[in-house]
Amino acid sequence: MDIDVNETGEHAPGTAAQRVGRRALLGAGFGGAALSLLPLLSGRASASTPPTADTAAGAPTTTAAPQRPTEEDVTLLGDAQRAELAAVTLFDQAIAMGGWSDVQLTVVSNLREAHNAYANALSGLLGRQAPGAASDAVVQLFTEGFNGASAGEMLDAAYELESALVATHTEILGSLVGTNAASLLASIQVNEARHGTVLADLNEKTDPADLLVDKEADSLVGKV
Amino acid sequence: MSNETSPMDLNPSLGRRGLFRLGGLTAATVVIAAACSDVSHQLGNVGDASGTTPVLPDPVIDDGVLLRTMAGLETSIANAYQHMLDNGGLTKGSATFPNLGDQSELVTRFQAHHTAAAKAYNALVTKAGAEPWTCGNTRLDDTYLTPIFDRVEKVTPAAGNALEIPASDDIGRDYINLVHTLESLSAESAQALVPLVSEPAYRAAAMTVGATSARQAALVALRINPGGYAPVAAIPVVVETSTTAEATTTTAAPAADAAPPQTEIPLPLALPADFGLLSPITFIGGHGDENGVRLKLNFETPSLNMYAYPYIEACKA
Repeated sequence: MDIDVNETGEHAPGTAAQRVGRRALLGAGFGGAALSLLPLLSGRASASTPPTADTAAGAPTTTAAPQRPTEEDVTLLGDAQRAELAAVTLFDQAIAMGGWSDVQLTVVSNLREAHNAYANALSGLLGRQAPGAASDAVVQLFTEGFNGASAGEMLDAAYELESALVATHTEILGSLVGTNAASLLASIQVNEARHGTVLADLNEKTDPADLLVDKEADSLVGKV
Repeated sequence: MSNETSPMDLNPSLGRRGLFRLGGLTAATVVIAAACSDVSHQLGNVGDASGTTPVLPDPVIDDGVLLRTMAGLETSIANAYQHMLDNGGLTKGSATFPNLGDQSELVTRFQAHHTAAAKAYNALVTKAGAEPWTCGNTRLDDTYLTPIFDRVEKVTPAAGNALEIPASDDIGRDYINLVHTLESLSAESAQALVPLVSEPAYRAAAMTVGATSARQAALVALRINPGGYAPVAAIPVVVETSTTAEATTTTAAPAADAAPPQTEIPLPLALPADFGLLSPITFIGGHGDENGVRLKLNFETPSLNMYAYPYIEACKA
């Protein structure tokens, strides 16, 4: 009976072949990894390929705007936040004056909370660059009306403020470059436009010109 | 030696087994030949044998396309209002909203805004180097507005197992709800346009239109739902018309032959949320079918299937 002896160690006949096999395996591994990355790399390369003559000759293309606010955007958005916080201060003053019906108080409190939410949203966008303080100039501009003798006078002042905020945000939208900030400001502006109609209705206005704010107030840009 | 051949000398393939073998061999050969033939690179042709591959136009989406789409949307809204004004449905008021009254003057005012908005958008289209779009948006017209007008104004004939559906039980209610839907759509679409266009000036112009549309939506909401300023605990629902009012005010089980309740129509609010919404706007209207189900459509801001691409030439002034 023959007995087969499997030799191990450095003198074993298969050792050299085994070393070569390990290297080959490593090489194959690297090769496989490179191959698997090839589609990804080629995809990026194609994404950055300059337009060909055919595409360049086509319809006018739109350059994508940046998402994040630029330095100039930050200044504008800071003003927007200071204006919103001024609105919160003014609504607080008006609520403290009293003389509201239940419905009026509910709506005015709702609007106050909305302006606070707008300021918070702008803080979320600006981070540490957010001013986080109300504009004294805007508060001074409207404080007389918000401390009016009657709920009607205060609603008139709030109506003017909302219209001014719409005009302000529209003007800022005409300058903002970053799309994230523009989207946020648009969602604020369009709802503040509704605020004016609600305040006019709450103040028992019936003329569509008043209800639809035909005469927009002046923008607060430069006054904040 | 004989020239005669014995039956045993005949070719064995002529036998039954031989025929089976020959048939099997032939079938196998055909299969192998089919498998080995290289036809994978050839496309099958059905019909047209011109040999040319049609080239689809490039769906370019740029500022011009987006603004053309908005111009079409605003024109569609203005046209829809003209249809309602011509029909006279807005002058009759509404049985569901007894205090609504004649809203034709207000809707005429709204129509002027949307006509002006379409012109403003088209001015921007020209500035963006595209061709102005001077008619309505075809998808909005075909998929939403026309089916709504058909359902509200006409009897839907029986088809298949479905029974005939009468015209609307309250055309004034459906029209004013559609006005609210379209105003909301105009405002939302302007807002949705903001991050899509590249020029800040286009955004400001769109939001000038959007702000007015939002105010008009709020005003219509207050006409439909006086005092409905902001959301409360639950969304109020229209008080049902006589068909279902009895069923909702009694605890007795409805009779077996009673008509099923009609789909409820939520009341709009002037301030549906703190921020401007981009969610679909649901229109529910028309008379319910045999199951009481009214027409329900979700209006959405313009997207890929609604854009006025440059190659679409259906709208030439």
